[in-house]
Amino acid sequence: MRNLIVIVIGFSLLAAAAPAVAHHSFAAEFDANKPVTLTGTVTKVEWMNPHVWFYADVKDETGKVSNWGFELGSPNGLMRSGWTRNSMKTGDSVTVEGSRAKDGSNHVNARSVTLASTGQKLFAASSQNQQQ
Amino acid sequence: MKVPTTNPSPGRRGIVVIAVSIALSGSAWAQWPKFKEPGVPRDARGSVQMDAKTPRTPDGKPDLSGDWVRADRDPLPQELAGVVTRQGETQRTGVAVEPPTTPFPPDRNAPPLATFFELGANIQGGLPMTTWATEIKKQRMATNDRDNPDANCLPMGLTQFHMQPQPRKIVQTPTLIVILYEANYGLRYIYMDGRSLPPQGEPQPLWNGYSVGRWEGDTLVVETNNLRGAENTPYDGWLDVRGSPYSDQAKFVERFRRPTFGKLEIDVTVDDPKSFTKPFTVRINQRYLADDEPIEFVCNENQQFRQRIKVD
Repeated sequence: MRNLIVIVIGFSLLAAAAPAVAHHSFAAEFDANKPVTLTGTVTKVEWMNPHVWFYADVKDETGKVSNWGFELGSPNGLMRSGWTRNSMKTGDSVTVEGSRAKDGSNHVNARSVTLASTGQKLFAASSQNQQQ
Repeated sequence: MKVPTTNPSPGRRGIVVIAVSIALSGSAWAQWPKFKEPGVPRDARGSVQMDAKTPRTPDGKPDLSGDWVRADRDPLPQELAGVVTRQGETQRTGVAVEPPTTPFPPDRNAPPLATFFELGANIQGGLPMTTWATEIKKQRMATNDRDNPDANCLPMGLTQFHMQPQPRKIVQTPTLIVILYEANYGLRYIYMDGRSLPPQGEPQPLWNGYSVGRWEGDTLVVETNNLRGAENTPYDGWLDVRGSPYSDQAKFVERFRRPTFGKLEIDVTVDDPKSFTKPFTVRINQRYLADDEPIEFVCNENQQFRQRIKVD
């Protein structure tokens, strides 16, 4: 994690146990005790089942750019929340809050996505807390 | 309970904000095509009258046809883990991604409510598991439920299908009832033509088992055997997200009632002497979903979960 602009948000409710709903096991892949907030430029959006993934270039404090992958909910779940496949595009600047992969790779389960251009918060339809 | 702040301290390490300001394109915010479902009872303002009378088929049976979502609120995972109480709920930042769950008022005469994570969460002492079942559940939880069929785009078992947040559609005919699940594109046949259950294990166990149904008054009684139990593969025999198992010996009896237009009650009895020391029954409630419907969901389109966690 050295040099990456990973902000440890500290203990929160989201740091508690968080098993999965839906199409993968959250707890097998992500660590709710590793909350991160990252800002970057979208490089690719995979609007596909079972979960949408998008990728963004994130610059660390030294100026080094790394590509990160972010998992959202299913396309159907996102559609029901008002997203479309065109809501986020390559080149958009976004800030993502989520939980980092357990294995320390550059993968994040996103809870929320905020578009820098408008400040609009796009829900992530995370698999972490989708029940309600 | 006091909830610590989630805000990072502003003075900490600098946040490099890449200031690329590209305006959101002008494309309209479109959703799944809106439609107004005909035949749904509504008040003057157009709201669905969930308490309206039960629809019936021409032969007088309750008509269970239509789209349904689970109605019962699941305890938060954190509640199940005993980490937080319900007061902490407002602190959550997760969002609903499926049609919202609105519970019905509690029914004192109902069996304990099932929950998606723990089928027996509301049963005193939990599910009456045998040593065999307890060991399987322990193994499954030790690997964070990664083999849950739901997590692997597979048929997830009758009870997980009943409670999965994605909607399902019931199509009822006099001789066959079909349940079509958005979740993992599940499909269940319930034969209503008077046939009997085949012998257990013959000709072979199935993901969704073999189901025959009959009417007892206004209650649809569905019996199911020939289910693929936990003996088969790690993906078989899951009752809930936490991996409470069932075996090849399992027999399910489901009692479906539709007391009003908007409510479907499903009492599920599991009789499986290999997994449970005695049969048990839980209640699952579903709510009618008007003006919405299951959407195509081809789960394996881009499923990379097992590669990412490096088990395949």
